Amino acid sequence: MKTVLIIEDNLDIRENTGEILELTGFRVLSSEDGRHGITLAVDEKPDVILCDIMMPGIDGYQVFKELKANQATSSIPFIYVTASGERNEIKQAMEMGAYGYIRKPFDVDELVRLISTCVEEG
Amino acid sequence: MEQKPISLESEAGFRVLFECATISILVINEQGSIELANPCAEALFAYQPAELIGQPMEVLLPENLRSRHVQHRRGYFAKPKTRPMGLGMELYARKKNGEVFPVAISLGHYQLDGEVLAVAFVTDITDHINAKKLLAEREAWFRNMADNSPVMIWVSGLDKNCTYFNNTWLNYTGRRIEEELGTGWATGILPEDLEQCMLTYNNAFDTQQSFVMEYRLLRHDGQYRWILNVGKPTYIDDAFTGFIGSCSDVHDQRMMKEELERQVHARTTELHRALDREKEMNELKSRFVSMASHEFRTPLSIVLSSTSLIEQYIMPQHDERIQKHLTRIKSSVSNLTNILNDFLSLDKLEQGNVALEHDTFGIHEFMNGIVEDAQGTRKNGQQVLMEHKGYTDVTIDQKKLRYIMVNLISNSMKYSPEESVISVTSVVTGEDLTIAVADHGIGIPEEEQKYLYNKFFRARNTGNIQGTGLGLTIVKRYVELMGGDVSCISKQGEGTTFTIKIPNATHP
Repeated sequence: MKTVLIIEDNLDIRENTGEILELTGFRVLSSEDGRHGITLAVDEKPDVILCDIMMPGIDGYQVFKELKANQATSSIPFIYVTASGERNEIKQAMEMGAYGYIRKPFDVDELVRLISTCVEEG
Repeated sequence: MEQKPISLESEAGFRVLFECATISILVINEQGSIELANPCAEALFAYQPAELIGQPMEVLLPENLRSRHVQHRRGYFAKPKTRPMGLGMELYARKKNGEVFPVAISLGHYQLDGEVLAVAFVTDITDHINAKKLLAEREAWFRNMADNSPVMIWVSGLDKNCTYFNNTWLNYTGRRIEEELGTGWATGILPEDLEQCMLTYNNAFDTQQSFVMEYRLLRHDGQYRWILNVGKPTYIDDAFTGFIGSCSDVHDQRMMKEELERQVHARTTELHRALDREKEMNELKSRFVSMASHEFRTPLSIVLSSTSLIEQYIMPQHDERIQKHLTRIKSSVSNLTNILNDFLSLDKLEQGNVALEHDTFGIHEFMNGIVEDAQGTRKNGQQVLMEHKGYTDVTIDQKKLRYIMVNLISNSMKYSPEESVISVTSVVTGEDLTIAVADHGIGIPEEEQKYLYNKFFRARNTGNIQGTGLGLTIVKRYVELMGGDVSCISKQGEGTTFTIKIPNATHP
């Protein structure tokens, strides 16, 4: 069973997303802030990370940067979830090597497809 | 060599003087007969040589003066003395042909053989009189002109004192000429303006330069009014003689100008304020749009994901009613998301924050993808026929072209009936990409077509078909941003064709 780590500050979205992915057959880990998310990623080495961009504390970009810099987590595919979608910032993050991004509100099928493809490729 | 005084005692001397003089000389005896007339006199009065000798001198006078003259002549001989004749009077003489002309005469006398003889020196002053008359006429003419001029005219001499004011001036100030002459005119100037006015006036005199000045002058009705005074130096034969000037009442113009300036100033201030407010509103709007776009997306995500979860838990395929409502929730979220996206796109366009990102891609796959993207709007039996000519690859901002095409094709679907055909024709050349989207839908009323690309505009025949009126606004802005243009041909009830033409960036 593949593991997905969800880092998302909004409880409802975090739970809904986790539920959907569990129903699809993933093992789900979740964190409500970036700092704890990074610890989880290092400890659990998930197969894919789904991370919100705008969060209190450290934001999604920072989370990605730190995971990328850490040898233990640098190869884990990373997917941004964005509510504002400032294209330039996303573009920059993509150029730094993120796997992909998905905009809120996302279509459930689209999310599942993206994560399944990502895991298969991984 | 020493010169000897000429002796006038010799008759020969006198004869030369007499014969050659350019003044007419007549010698008259006591009986009033002409004893001698020099050639100049004969020529002046138009007589033959020697013809005048012995004639009564009165033949040389106009008929109406002759009898009176006899008295004068006798009076003279009774008490002869050397003097000009008829002092202060106009004298006239008569030519042989009767022509009368003005003359100046001086008289002298001498005795010869006990007889007193009078000598008259006669000069024709016709030219002089004519010139004087002309001068008087001219002066009257100019004076008349000056007095009837709508502007006030003044003249001053070398000593800066004014020597003339026309009637217009006097009527304006309501003062007598004696009060104005010299420096009297300056008493009418508003005390506040006096110093500057005199400074300009004196300075112009000292430098002999023209001047233009405005000051307030007391009008006959007691009101100080703005006057425009223009002065120019005058010269006679290059010698400075003083100044001549004209004034006009510019009070009303000046008041109007000041009022206008006041108004312009007030308007400008108001405009600046409005502009600032507008800018502030714009920033506020922009902040709101970006906040809304962000803050709305989170709850929308929850609605959508919760709906999907409900769908999975209750297996709604067993109940059509549940399925119908779940579909409605999803499509409403999707609608709302599109509206948010449109608002955000438009705001970015308006802020000038949109850049082009060119990439090269195959047009066939692209177009197929578009039709798939527009699937949600497609009605029963609607067919999209695609035809392509020219190159298969194109270099253009793909994301913006996608937005444009999804919009145009969804519009065609939205405003066309079921079972209808939508034709999409694309042509790629080295220069540009042209795509036409033609439908057989409700069309756009002709009189409303000009508003088509306005923000929030929706044609009146759109009824309850959903839309924000932002799609075409964004389409047009995107097309223009890409250096192209969009056009529309439509007839209400028959259908609409949108055509976009965008430069192909393959060969920049």
